Amino acid sequence: MTGAPARWLAVAIMAVASVFLLAPLVIIALSSLSPTPVFDLPVGGASLRWYAAVGSLDGVWPALSLSLEIALLSTAMSLVIGTLAGIAIVRRIVPGASVLAAAATSPLMMPGLVLGIALLQYFRSLGLTQTWTSLLLAHLVVTLPFVARTMIAGLSRFDFTLIDAARMLGCGFASSIWRVMVPALAPAYLTAALFAFLASMDNYPVSIFLTDARAKTLPIKMLQYIEESPDPSIAALSTLILIATLLLLFVADRAIGLHRLAGLEA
Amino acid sequence: MSRALEEAASLPRVAFGAPQLSAGVLLALPAAVVLFALYAIPLARLMASSFVGQSGLSFQAYGRILGDAYGRSLVWNSVRLGALTTVIALAVGYPAAFGLASARGALRSLFLASLFLPLAASVIVKSFAWSTLMRSHGVVNEALMGLHLTSAPIRLLFTQVSLISGSVNIFLPFMILPIYSVVAQIDPTLTEAAATLGASPLRAFLRVVLPLSLPGVVAGVSLVFSLSVSAYVVPTLLMGESYPTLSTTIARAFLLLRDPALGSAAGAILMAIGLAVVVASHRFGERSAGQ
Amino acid sequence: MGGPLEPAVNAHVTTTNLSKRFGAAKVLDRVDLAVERGALVTLLGPSGCGKTTLLRLIAGLMAPDEGSIAIGGVDVTRTPPHKRNVGVVFQSYALFPHLTVAGNVGFGLQGKGLGRAEIAVKVQRALALVQMERFGDRPVRALSGGQQQRVALARALAVEPSVILFDEALSALDRNLRETMQVELRRLLKDLGATAVFVTHDQDEALTMSDKVAVMNAGRIEQFDEPVRLYERPRSLFATRFVGVSSELRGTVAARQGGRLRVDTPQGPVLAEGDLPAGAAAVVSTRPENVAIGAGDGPDRNRIEGRVRRVTFQGSRTRIAVDVGAGADFMVEIGGVFAPPSPGEAVVLSWAASRSFVFVDARQAA
Repeated sequence: MTGAPARWLAVAIMAVASVFLLAPLVIIALSSLSPTPVFDLPVGGASLRWYAAVGSLDGVWPALSLSLEIALLSTAMSLVIGTLAGIAIVRRIVPGASVLAAAATSPLMMPGLVLGIALLQYFRSLGLTQTWTSLLLAHLVVTLPFVARTMIAGLSRFDFTLIDAARMLGCGFASSIWRVMVPALAPAYLTAALFAFLASMDNYPVSIFLTDARAKTLPIKMLQYIEESPDPSIAALSTLILIATLLLLFVADRAIGLHRLAGLEA
Repeated sequence: MSRALEEAASLPRVAFGAPQLSAGVLLALPAAVVLFALYAIPLARLMASSFVGQSGLSFQAYGRILGDAYGRSLVWNSVRLGALTTVIALAVGYPAAFGLASARGALRSLFLASLFLPLAASVIVKSFAWSTLMRSHGVVNEALMGLHLTSAPIRLLFTQVSLISGSVNIFLPFMILPIYSVVAQIDPTLTEAAATLGASPLRAFLRVVLPLSLPGVVAGVSLVFSLSVSAYVVPTLLMGESYPTLSTTIARAFLLLRDPALGSAAGAILMAIGLAVVVASHRFGERSAGQ
Repeated sequence: MGGPLEPAVNAHVTTTNLSKRFGAAKVLDRVDLAVERGALVTLLGPSGCGKTTLLRLIAGLMAPDEGSIAIGGVDVTRTPPHKRNVGVVFQSYALFPHLTVAGNVGFGLQGKGLGRAEIAVKVQRALALVQMERFGDRPVRALSGGQQQRVALARALAVEPSVILFDEALSALDRNLRETMQVELRRLLKDLGATAVFVTHDQDEALTMSDKVAVMNAGRIEQFDEPVRLYERPRSLFATRFVGVSSELRGTVAARQGGRLRVDTPQGPVLAEGDLPAGAAAVVSTRPENVAIGAGDGPDRNRIEGRVRRVTFQGSRTRIAVDVGAGADFMVEIGGVFAPPSPGEAVVLSWAASRSFVFVDARQAA
């Protein structure tokens, strides 16, 4: 690239950025061990009481379970719909393939809040008031672009003559898809599933308009805790979420490799 | 994206059992239905409803936002947040992406982990974490006093410093990763070729690497801008009510004030900004790919 | 077409005692090379012999561990590549995808104080040399492999370098195009009076294009000679086998006989050119086209017997593999169309002792 000193400078900047990005997460994890009801670092002595208190946070379990249900279901549905559409787009066997591709990925750049209020008014006008269904439908739109983007990238790198080869060796069409394409695209599926799942679990701007007093998703509950009565149990909850995310990423790295994740990302 | 489609178009077609056109339509249909029924239509209705006043077609709601100084300050605050975040993220993220691309082995994995973990973490967790850092007895203040740069805690929370720095902190990975994924694929022989043609390392960077990195820059800039201009959680947690943006107005309009017209108008403006970003990045993307 | 480019001063390339290591492996081992001005030299050898490394060292894309490089009498060992005025045509062409053909060709001319019009003229001249004048505005992605190769060449020529290096630049082309380009390239470079160094593993290409060929093996230059001499009088077993086909017998050196060495082989005594001590394990080699079927006339001929194993008709020539009890088949090549002996037939083979060479057999006879 440029000369060696420029490269060292670039690496140094990335290193500083890394610290910058990780610092808040580390601080939160440390604050969760605070010995006092304020967000202190555990200098005096660590305490695990806030972790114990997490379970008794008002409404945390229903919120967690609702978020998980919606995330898993919408991710699964998006994976299927998105992959099928991805095949049609990449193979150009549907008219307006590039328009469809652009449309499928554009929600990523559309402000979530806008989508949220649009869906709120739309569902109301259709008479759809049931929270669970509206959330699921909304999260379909939230997760689909992540799947579409990753699957289109992954499919465009897939050599479809492998399917021909499989068929010449005696596999039927569906069987060759299952035995040849699915394993080859496994990294893409995993990446897509990971990002879609996280997008749904973390979603606030769309969900806030579709939930009501009784049914809230986890992010909404969290914001409520922070605004109403912040104490280190929120830090504990956040840290638990971070640990779960870390585990997910670790599994993804073992399965795909983080650098592939980065390549498939954009 | 279009490059992927171009390359895919050159692949031979698989002979499906069924006639190709209807097979393709069937495959794409569910996604198309979802996008149409749950995305395009609601947004169109939103757009339409923003033109509805008390007595039919009117620009009343827009007037409420664009017509008075307060309303315009909302737009300005949103755009300002987006622009500042994007510029700073670009200034830091561009060299950082090269640093990431230069790194190998364990260091690269470490860097990637430091990008992916925040990316995967909830924006609420991150904003909350940043606000913790900014507290009077938080880490930043303690560090400043410890280094004897200040003698008393300075108020960082609920200031624009904490807002912008928090916004950059949260959206920086969205700038670094797209640039990295483009830069990492630039053929290293190109810089060798430039050297053999007499270009100094600086010239080779400016005339070969920089232009080839632009698609990544466009992707990163459009993503970070659209995310930060429409951010809700970040300004709410870091600034409370003292930095009203279009997003905070939308939330208040629907959830507190029960004023859907105002919310829709603000939403329509935000949507217009979002669309403008999509179109502009598409155009830029086409242009740099077409060369 | 335009006349020769401005003849650049200092086109004479020398490397002295050049060595390069990658980790523990010595890729180049004290290489001395001298390329005359205006000469077309090829570095020929199998993968891993160090030819590409040598080329990259001359270009300045790598620094040597030991030794020096001089271009036109000026020591350039420590000079960075962008100051050496050495042109390179890469195997992958390395065309800048974000620039048009003209943009690529003019790249090296920018930033040297030339006006736009002047650059455009030089670009057109360079494109004319490779017959791509009308392609100036095209994006490089729209070009075929052969067209890209020409653009890469024009780009290197446009800055009028003192030396041009070709790193397997023809290997990505299909066979017909490659053969055409070999001839064309040689003619063009000769017209320009350019000094050029090629790297290739294809011996036909080396023989076609070069004034001199450096056969490389394991980081050393085994022989540096004109193609004809290299083919007719190879100086090592490696060179014999790498450039052309070698018909061989194994044996032990017996004595000098009438100016030649007599080597005793299981197929009988054989006379050959060479100089080895008596008792040395040796390989006697000749080219297949030197071998005739039948005892032939004259005293200075070697004769052996064998049985035909396989006959392969190749159009202008026929190759006959004969089992002479030496392990590998003894290859015979005869030009023209004729009635060859049938497989299984017993034959007598003969060839001139003057066309036969002896080399040390590094392995014991197996």
